Amino acid sequence: MSIENVSRRKFIKQSGLAVGGLWLGIALPNVVMAKLGLAFEAAFNPNAFIHIATNGDTLIYCGRCEMGQGISTALPAAVADELEADWTRVSIKQADGNEELYGPQATGGSASIRVMYIPMREAGAAAKAMLIAAAAKKWQVSAQDCYADSHFVINRNDNSKLSYGELASLAADMPVPKNIKLKAKADFKYIGKDLARHNQGDIVNGQLTYGVDTKMPGLKYAAVVHCPVFEGKLKSLDKTAALAMAGVEAVVEIPRMEVPFGSIGGVGVVADNTWTAQQAIKKLVIEWDLGPNKTYDSKAYKLQLVKNVESPAQKAAERGDIEQAFANAKHKVSATYTGGHLSHSPMEPNASVVWVQENSCEVWAATQSPADIQKVLAQYLGREPKDILVHVTMAGGAFGRKFKCDYVQEAAALSKAVNAPVQLTWSREEDTRTGYYHSINAQHIEAAIDEDGNVSGWLHRAAFMPIASLFDDQVERAPAGSLGDIFNHPFGIENIRTETGEAKRHTRIGWYRAVYAIFYGFAFGTFADEIANKVGKDTLTLLNNIYDNNNDPKQEIQVRRSKGALALAAEKSKWFSRDKLPKNQGIGIAVHYSFESYVAMAVLVEVNGDDIKVLEVDCAVDCGQVLNIDSATAQMEGAVVMATSLSLRTEIVFREGAVVNSNFHNYPVLRFDEMPTVRAHFIDNGDKPTGLGEPGLGPFPAALSNAVFAASGKRYRDLPFKPSTI
Amino acid sequence: MAQTVTINGKSYEINVDGAMPLLWFLRDKLELTGTKFGCGMAVCGACTVHLDGQATRSCVIPVSAVAGKSITTIEGLAENNDHPLQKAWLNNKVPQCGYCQAGQIMNAASFLAQNPSPTPEEIDTAMQGNICRCGTYQRIKVAISEAALELGKEV
Repeated sequence: MSIENVSRRKFIKQSGLAVGGLWLGIALPNVVMAKLGLAFEAAFNPNAFIHIATNGDTLIYCGRCEMGQGISTALPAAVADELEADWTRVSIKQADGNEELYGPQATGGSASIRVMYIPMREAGAAAKAMLIAAAAKKWQVSAQDCYADSHFVINRNDNSKLSYGELASLAADMPVPKNIKLKAKADFKYIGKDLARHNQGDIVNGQLTYGVDTKMPGLKYAAVVHCPVFEGKLKSLDKTAALAMAGVEAVVEIPRMEVPFGSIGGVGVVADNTWTAQQAIKKLVIEWDLGPNKTYDSKAYKLQLVKNVESPAQKAAERGDIEQAFANAKHKVSATYTGGHLSHSPMEPNASVVWVQENSCEVWAATQSPADIQKVLAQYLGREPKDILVHVTMAGGAFGRKFKCDYVQEAAALSKAVNAPVQLTWSREEDTRTGYYHSINAQHIEAAIDEDGNVSGWLHRAAFMPIASLFDDQVERAPAGSLGDIFNHPFGIENIRTETGEAKRHTRIGWYRAVYAIFYGFAFGTFADEIANKVGKDTLTLLNNIYDNNNDPKQEIQVRRSKGALALAAEKSKWFSRDKLPKNQGIGIAVHYSFESYVAMAVLVEVNGDDIKVLEVDCAVDCGQVLNIDSATAQMEGAVVMATSLSLRTEIVFREGAVVNSNFHNYPVLRFDEMPTVRAHFIDNGDKPTGLGEPGLGPFPAALSNAVFAASGKRYRDLPFKPSTI
Repeated sequence: MAQTVTINGKSYEINVDGAMPLLWFLRDKLELTGTKFGCGMAVCGACTVHLDGQATRSCVIPVSAVAGKSITTIEGLAENNDHPLQKAWLNNKVPQCGYCQAGQIMNAASFLAQNPSPTPEEIDTAMQGNICRCGTYQRIKVAISEAALELGKEV
């Protein structure tokens, strides 16, 4: 960790940032950088800046991307807390893409808080110390005689005050403190409280600008259609009718760019408004060469995956003696779980503006990873990444989709072709049909239960189209490492073997919010319930037993915190009074550890015939120190909504290589009248904070399956339970 | 003489192909970007505006069909952005990404104008056409009830 006073540094002036006052840049410790797989050569890698102007206005830059998760409020609030800033004097700005300046900006893996909490606080604390040092110098007293409170430094001797604005320029000449002292939890003013997100006012007024909203003089508008089958190519194109339309300026072939985040390949139309471009797309007469995936059928593929996991597969990892465990078993339980493809479908479709000029390239994009835009466009245009200037806009939802910048590269191709700034907005249909999909998957588990009702052996086979296949077309199955979350699951099972089954790619796979935790959580949580039913225990007791059987000292914390979350979910829900529920109601419970956070859920459902209605969900969360209780609660509400959609009915279906779904009428995400009551309960133990963008999805599908079983005796093992007919 | 449409109290000439949906006239011609594109087929509600006070999906209604009529968008809902719904939205910290919220608010405003004291079930039915992928439905429901109370006081 290093903090550098950058107030006088040249780049502050060059970058057009306000000059004067105090600027602090912070750098991540190398060990964190290494963990993220990011190597930086320079010793100084600031990832956020605090600027206190001479009038006291305080600007905090957020380097992480905002897509609704609230990070651009939570992290600056941590800075402001340590800085003893008056929150009403703080404004927040989304940083442009520049990892040299702001550190890692790729926003995913629920990592922002985990990685940035301490560095951001230290930046605030260092700035505070420098302001105090400046005041002490002015008053000719020692720093110990001064303290900071709400944008002022106060002299303990006579209670005289100097404002941060008055001190800013002087503070810029103070040395950066070597030993930075952070506040105690009891003294937090903003951390853990419920500060409103800084952009709420602009949202309710319709003033906040997203990727689709960028405007500038000379802007052209574009639409795109892609080859419906992955790895297909354009065979022939007749653009006469499209070009004849008033307002259409160009029809441009966009060949597939064979890098993971490049265009899948298609044809774009540039016009003087988006609607004309969309209409012109429909006038194109296109013949595609559908390529090697033209027979992909996801329904048949799912059945094949089931076969692949219900017979021996390639060993991934093993401990103990699983054969012996099964030989000595009193009971054996087995089940197979499956899940379909999913599309992220954020409300804002992919959109960006790109302006490629001879000596510059400027991008305005809703993105989760500006550095990937820089990399991909640099490769596409034959330039240096640093020469691609990326302005990060608010993202209207992302869920992993906007990590991949194919849509930005397409906008660059169109801008290059027409020599103007081009705004490309994907249609909902293209977003649904030619995205990056959550892995279709199957898992087969066999458990050996000994005489005392303990789980003594566990065979777990998984087959899913892995994310690795996005980066390597030769990958035939999930690499052993991708099954690590099975092998390292904190269940206490002495004898375990994991196997990975064949699952070649036939489409673009990409991470979707919670990623593999969706199906791992489903399998572990549902199977535990099935075992409990087999051995005649209730699921909570059985889960506690399984955790108690974990003697691995390295997993002691995971066991304790998983159990703690479970206990809280049970306590806050109707779990203990479940016998009194009406006959058609049931409650299910599950817990899942993912992205270093622990979430247990108790789901109450009502089942009438085939109709499943989710009534109440109690979420018990252990993410260590909560940064913003309101945002953390919102993450649970959101996780339940998304998980209900994917548990009950949303599935992307491929037939003859192409996605059959097209829009929200046949990709029916959860609607208003189906919203259950969601309550979030936090175990705020002050532990190191971990993220919550994803962990809420892991336990839900299992808790729901268990609840439906309790209510009706019907067991659902395939996600979604009730796919919409398409 | 060219046809005109009144938007947020101001008259605009319809100087585009009359088949262009109102949404794109607002967004690309007038650069009023508060009204959002979500689906293009009136199934998500992100593009909701008021047509003579009635919630309407601007992504499917041709601009020619609103000639001579009065349109209100999120930018014009309340002079000081202080509609009881906007206040209730802030009070309940409704938005996450916020992309769908203009449509949610416009739909709710038209609904409350017709039904000033709705039951929870009536709110469910009225808001079914507006999708939120971040999952803010629970807070929207509370906010609408709160705004209804506030509106009741104003009368």
